[in-house]
Amino acid sequence: MKPYFEKMIEFGHALKKGRIKSTEENLNHIKNIEADVADEMSRVKLAGFSEEEINARGQMTVWQRLEYLVDPGTWCPLHTLYNPMNNEEGTTNVIDGVGKISGKWAVIIGFDNKVMAGAWLPGQSENILRVTDLSKRLNIPLVWLVNCSGAKLTEQEKFYANRRGAGTPFFRHAELEQLGIPVLAGIYGTNPAGGGYQSISPAILFAHKDCNMAVGGIGIVSGMAPKGEFDLESAEEIIEKAKQFRAKPPGSVNIHYNETGFFRYVFDDETGVLDGIKNYMKDMPAYPPKFFRVAEPKESRFPIDDLYRLIPLNPKRVYDFEEVLARLVDASEHMEFHPDYGPEVYTGLCKIDGFLVACIGNRQEYLGRHYPEYADYAGMGGKLYRQGLIKMNEFVTLCGRDRIPVIWFQDSSGLDVGDDAEKAELLGLAQGLVYSIQQTDVPMMLLLLRKGTASAHYLMGGPTANRHNAFSIGTVASEIYVMHGETAAVATYSRRLVKEKEAGRPLEPIIEKMNQLAKAYHEKSRPRFCAKSGMIDEIVPLSDLRKYIATFAGAAYQNPKSICPHHQLILPRIIKG
Amino acid sequence: MTQEIVAPLDGKVCQLHISAGDKVEEDEEILVIEAMKMETPIYTPCDGIVREVRVKAGDEVTENDVLAVIDEEHIEV
Repeated sequence: MKPYFEKMIEFGHALKKGRIKSTEENLNHIKNIEADVADEMSRVKLAGFSEEEINARGQMTVWQRLEYLVDPGTWCPLHTLYNPMNNEEGTTNVIDGVGKISGKWAVIIGFDNKVMAGAWLPGQSENILRVTDLSKRLNIPLVWLVNCSGAKLTEQEKFYANRRGAGTPFFRHAELEQLGIPVLAGIYGTNPAGGGYQSISPAILFAHKDCNMAVGGIGIVSGMAPKGEFDLESAEEIIEKAKQFRAKPPGSVNIHYNETGFFRYVFDDETGVLDGIKNYMKDMPAYPPKFFRVAEPKESRFPIDDLYRLIPLNPKRVYDFEEVLARLVDASEHMEFHPDYGPEVYTGLCKIDGFLVACIGNRQEYLGRHYPEYADYAGMGGKLYRQGLIKMNEFVTLCGRDRIPVIWFQDSSGLDVGDDAEKAELLGLAQGLVYSIQQTDVPMMLLLLRKGTASAHYLMGGPTANRHNAFSIGTVASEIYVMHGETAAVATYSRRLVKEKEAGRPLEPIIEKMNQLAKAYHEKSRPRFCAKSGMIDEIVPLSDLRKYIATFAGAAYQNPKSICPHHQLILPRIIKG
Repeated sequence: MTQEIVAPLDGKVCQLHISAGDKVEEDEEILVIEAMKMETPIYTPCDGIVREVRVKAGDEVTENDVLAVIDEEHIEV
C-alpha cells in the first residue's frame, strides 16, 4: 500500500511571529502548571523511606529497579497521582506504566518498597485492575516487581474484600494467563499472605535469594489462636514466636525453590532478578514492527513545543485542532475521512512511528450559519451534531473492520440539545456510537486535550469505554464534569430562587449556595483531582504527548489479536474514493 | 495596500488588543469575539500598522462587519 501511506497529504502550518508573540503568556502559564504537577509527582516518588535508607539495607528501591529494568527513554508512567481513597501516604503504593524491556512493550507494575515495605493500601486493587485491564487490552506482557508486606492491617476494611478488592487481581492474573498473556514477576523481600498470592499468581517467578512468599507471615503465625484479649502472658508468647519466625520467616527460597519449585529462578543479586526478566522478555511473543508499519517512522514537520502555543489553557478559547494534530503525527501527514461532512469532528488516518492509527477529535471553530442543517441556529465546534455523530459511527466501525487502533482527542462541551436536536435523532445516534465502539474490538486511547463534558465524554472513547480504552491521558488544561459548575448551580437552584422570590424572602443565601456549588465543581474538575480520582490515568506534559501516543501505537501493534492485511484495508480506499 | 479584518461570526467583542497606529505582526491576535459561550480570537493576516479600529470592547458585531483596517507593511527589495 505504498501509494497510500508512504506520502500522505501534508497538513498544518508553521507558527508565524505574530502568533508566537500572542501566545507567550499561554505557554508560560501551561509550563508553570506542568512544573507544579511535576513537583506533586516528585512527592509521590519520595514517599516513605529515602533511597539511601533502602539502599543501606542492601535493597534497591522500586524506582531503581524500574530504571534498571526498562529500556532507556521508553517509560510512560501511569497513575502516578492516583489516590482515590485519599491515603495519608499519598499513593496507592504501586508504581506502574508502559515501557519496553529488551525491546518489547510491557505493562510494568511494582510495589513501592519504601512505603510500609510495599503494603496493600486502600485504592491499590483498583489501581492494579487498571493495569491488568491495560495488559489485556493491549495484549502485551504484564511484568510485576513484587515486594509486598501484606495488608495495612489498620485499614483492611477499605480494601481486603469486595468485587474489586485486593484479591481480585489474582483472578485477573489467571484471566490474562488463560488469554495467553504472560505475567512475569520479580520477587523481593517478605511477601506474606496477600503478598504471597501476588508472588505466586504470575506465570514465571524470578526470586531474589533473600525473598520469601507464604500463605501467612510472621504476624499471622504469631497470633493464630485468639483468646479474647491480650495480657502480659500472651504478650510474652507473641514475643517468643515473633523472634523465632523473624530468624526464619516462612516460605523462604529454600522452601519454594528447593522443596516446591514454585520459584523458577533464584538470583543472588537484585539486578540478577531484573536481568532474568530482561532475558525472558527477549523471547516474548511479538511481531517485528516492520510487520505492521505502513511507512518509515518520521517526526512531525513542526516542533512539538508549538503545542504550548496552540492549546489554550482558557477552556472557552477556540483553536485549530488540525494544527495540534499536525504536531503529533508522523510527517504531519494524514488522509481525512469525509472532510466535507460533520465539520465539528475530525476523523482521519495518520501514522505514528510508522504505524497506521485512526484519529478522531473535536474541532473548535465556528461552523457557520447553515450548520447544523436541521436547525435555524448556528453551530459551534466542541459540540456534537447529527452529521458528526454519523461520521464517527461510520469511521469507528470501519476502523474495527480494518483493525486500526483508535486515538480519541477529546475537547467537547457535549451534544446539541433541544427539540430540533431530538428530532435530528441525536440521542439514538449517540447511543449508536456507543454500540459502534462496543462492537469494534481494537485498542483505543483517549487524549483529553481540555474538556470532557456531558455525554460526549462517554461517547468519544473515554475511560467509560472500559474494555476498549487502554488508557486515558490528560493535560494540565483538562477538566471533567457533567456540566459546567455555573450551569449545574442554575439547574439545582433555579426553582428555589423562584420560590424564595415569590415568598418575599432574601435571595442571598441561595446565591451563596450557588456560588459554593460552582466553586466545588471547579475544584473537582481540575486535572489533579481527575488524576487522583482516576478519571484520567496520567497528566502528561504537552511535550510528551507524542511519546505516549507512540507507545500506545507500538504496544497495540506488538501482538494484536487480529490482523487485517494492508492490501485488504477498506478505509483508505473509501477515503480515496 | 490595506487589509480589512472582518468578523467571522456574530458576537460581542470581549477583548481588544490594538489601537490605531499600533504595529502588528502577521498572525498576531488583535481582538476576541465571544459567541455561543466560546471566545474566537481574530488574527491579523499580515505585518502592518493599524490604520483604523472600528469596534470597541463590549460592542456587538455581525458576521462580515469590518473590525479593523491594517496598512500592510511592504518589504523593500
